[in-house]
Amino acid sequence: MSVYFGLAIALLAGAPQEDKDRTSWTISAEWVYTAAGDAIEGGLVTVSDGKIRSVSSGDGGQLQCFAVTPGLVDLSVRIDRGWNAVEQSREVTPEMRVVQALDWFDEGWMREARSGVTTAMVNVSDRNVVGGMSVVVKTAGASPQARTVKADSVLYGAIGSAPSSSNHPAYGRPDDFYSRRPTTRMGVEWEWRKAFYDAALAQRDKSKQVAGTTELQKVLAGEFPLMIQAWTTQDIRTAVFLKEELEREGLGAPRLIVDAAAEAWREPDLLVRTKTPVVLPPFAPQGRTGEGSFFALETAAQLDAKGLLVALSGHGARQVSQRLAYQPGYAMRGGMTFDAALKTVTINPARMVGVDRRVGSLESGKDADLVLWSGKPFELSSAVIGVLVDGRLILDPRQANK
Amino acid sequence: MNVFTASTRAAAIAIGALLLSANAAADGKLAIKAGKVVQGPGMPEIDKGVILIENGRIAAIGADVKVPWDATVIDAPKLVAFPGFVEAHSARGMDRPNENIDPAAFLSVRDSIDPVNFYFEDSLRWGITTINIQQGNNCVIAGQGMVVRPMGITIDEMTVKTVSGVKLSATPKAGMSAATQAQALRKAFGDLQRYLEQLVQEKKDGNDRARREALFQGRDLEGENAKGRAMEGSAWKVAGLELIPRGEIDEKQVPLLALVEGKLPAFFYCGRPMDVHRALEVARDNGFLARTTLVISPACYKAADVIAEAGVPVVLEGPVVFTETDPLTGAETEIFVPGELKKKNVRFALSSANTTTESLWFQAAQCVGRGMTKTDAVASVTTIPAEILGLGKQVGSLEVGKAGNVLLFSGEPLSVTSWVEKVVIEGKEAYDRSKDVRVKHLMAGKAPANTQAMGGSASAEKKVVCCEGEDPAEHAKHLEAEAKKKDKGEGEDK
Repeated sequence: MSVYFGLAIALLAGAPQEDKDRTSWTISAEWVYTAAGDAIEGGLVTVSDGKIRSVSSGDGGQLQCFAVTPGLVDLSVRIDRGWNAVEQSREVTPEMRVVQALDWFDEGWMREARSGVTTAMVNVSDRNVVGGMSVVVKTAGASPQARTVKADSVLYGAIGSAPSSSNHPAYGRPDDFYSRRPTTRMGVEWEWRKAFYDAALAQRDKSKQVAGTTELQKVLAGEFPLMIQAWTTQDIRTAVFLKEELEREGLGAPRLIVDAAAEAWREPDLLVRTKTPVVLPPFAPQGRTGEGSFFALETAAQLDAKGLLVALSGHGARQVSQRLAYQPGYAMRGGMTFDAALKTVTINPARMVGVDRRVGSLESGKDADLVLWSGKPFELSSAVIGVLVDGRLILDPRQANK
Repeated sequence: MNVFTASTRAAAIAIGALLLSANAAADGKLAIKAGKVVQGPGMPEIDKGVILIENGRIAAIGADVKVPWDATVIDAPKLVAFPGFVEAHSARGMDRPNENIDPAAFLSVRDSIDPVNFYFEDSLRWGITTINIQQGNNCVIAGQGMVVRPMGITIDEMTVKTVSGVKLSATPKAGMSAATQAQALRKAFGDLQRYLEQLVQEKKDGNDRARREALFQGRDLEGENAKGRAMEGSAWKVAGLELIPRGEIDEKQVPLLALVEGKLPAFFYCGRPMDVHRALEVARDNGFLARTTLVISPACYKAADVIAEAGVPVVLEGPVVFTETDPLTGAETEIFVPGELKKKNVRFALSSANTTTESLWFQAAQCVGRGMTKTDAVASVTTIPAEILGLGKQVGSLEVGKAGNVLLFSGEPLSVTSWVEKVVIEGKEAYDRSKDVRVKHLMAGKAPANTQAMGGSASAEKKVVCCEGEDPAEHAKHLEAEAKKKDKGEGEDK
């Protein structure tokens, strides 16, 4: 192999013009990992009009590589999370929709797409307590409409120090932006509870209805999940206790997902008790990660063994080796099996937010989102050499194979 | 207990554990029987191979090596033996990596290295057995580096090579511009030249100030130091230097003079492509180009032609993939830097100084992922760094006569799921994963009983670390046992 893959990516623009809009392909590989049932040795995937038509044994595909996996799904992709991705005039803004702030042309999309992430959920930034509604999109595609997989996928918010960081009370001359509440962690927790109790109250007394009440009521009714960023075990506890409290009080049954649950290993039983799915942040070489949390390497394996739905995330990392495509490798380093690790970046996250009918596995009828690998997936010594989103070639493996 | 004592103690415990096994085969014979022996880049693999190490050196290697009756044997039929990785340049493991004085070539990292720094323990865990410690990049001319093995609790035990070279930087240090940095580099060598010329003039004038100063400072003025020697080197010369007994030359100027005379290697940092030209110019003008290694950031691949023409090797600091952003469109292109260097025939070593994986092993694996041959990728973390350090005949591969630095991997050496199970340095067992306290902490978050490892969130540190996460009944039992121990005087705090 004389051409280096990094260069091949630069040459993508040189892919044959007629392939630009082509959405029908046959792809063969020594291994096809479907994330739905057993892997197929010597497999062929047929794609037409952007959908998977068949997955079977076979060879001689128009595109060839060592291994094929489903396109990767990242529920915490953290693209485009600048200051315009959270409304800071209030702390509780469930009615805000991050989709209104998306830059569909952000270079981050291509960065994710060419490293294998084909479906991404974008959440509001963690600077608000209850931030707003997330959206699930494809990382590539013709238009925002075509790229949207699920609008209003979850209500997203944060517990911990992020929503109160830099805030201060309005003493002296309250002339700066951060003269606002909450200023403490207990303030953050109070905001969460007040928001839900007010929403429940407004259910009985319509005059108490304000902007955002509807979204909170829908969370209580379980219409879409509630996703809370909670890095440390203390924050995970708070999120779980909030859910249990709302249930106990008869206000509803929120479907909680914990995001960035680095310390989930400390008290996994809390999560097991409430069957809470978790999204884990990128693995940290020395264990230390966001908000002073410690992320043990065995976390994913441990939670999976306890029957929890686990998803990994790349947090939009710029470094190739930190992106989602390599996170399952680190989970395997922490004792996870290959099959389980594959699911943490494909079907598990798809199931968590209810997009598994369209993406997350290689099955007939699903979207043709595929990742083509030069070697065993998730090894650092393998590279993503081809990517298809809705049957469109985003990264051409023929350049790498030359 | 404050954080400092907690971490120091953790280090002491961890290193103590490592040392327990360290002397098992000291100066004796050690035979390693491995399921597979990978000798080095481009060398044959031996199934069921035996490595016999005598007095720290590999005495025999092969499938049919007879194990002497008095050799200690490590029987590892499931493990893969591999040469220890070599770190060509690192500014870690020190009290503070940057010295604010410049030029500071008279200083040595020897006085700054902290043997119980976690970095050395991390190195063992990642299979790095030879490390060139140099001062940080935030310098003009920094001190002299040295080559160490990550083993031992004194600097003398760790020393492989007392002087590995002088560190310089072509990238402006904090608070300086490119112009002032260049000026500072020129001034250092200009000052050296003026100083030497003055010495010669004073000697000719019969002024013995330098001699009196040397005597006053108690410098050695006998033997070789009593003799004068004409200036060597290829760039500039000071006529009449043979008149000056070498012992009379100010110690502060000696290392720079050695550099100019071509007697010391140089590690020249280039953080930007533009710095490459500066570094090569300074090295050329002062006669040490032939002994220069550039320490480059990924962006410096753009200067690969210039580097190739100068014929100097490089150490690549940072990620192997560089992301180029088009200033007009914002579009990003990923450049595989070692691939670019290889194309231009630049000899390169990788470095674990990167924020992504912090290991040589994963850096090499990524190179394979990007299409580089395993031979080239492995060479860039073993034999090439060894050659850069002038230790090409000592370390970097498993061959007869070389140091017995052997890693035992749990699986394929470049796989993300493999672990370094054991490390042997010069025939001594330096690391055993089953006894590694901190790896357990990194894996499970919990430290084994009766140890204290770093890590854990602020909230967790308030808990009883010894049995955190266990159920209250277990905790109570533990506290009881601890109390009994204290009664018998076995407490940890005696």
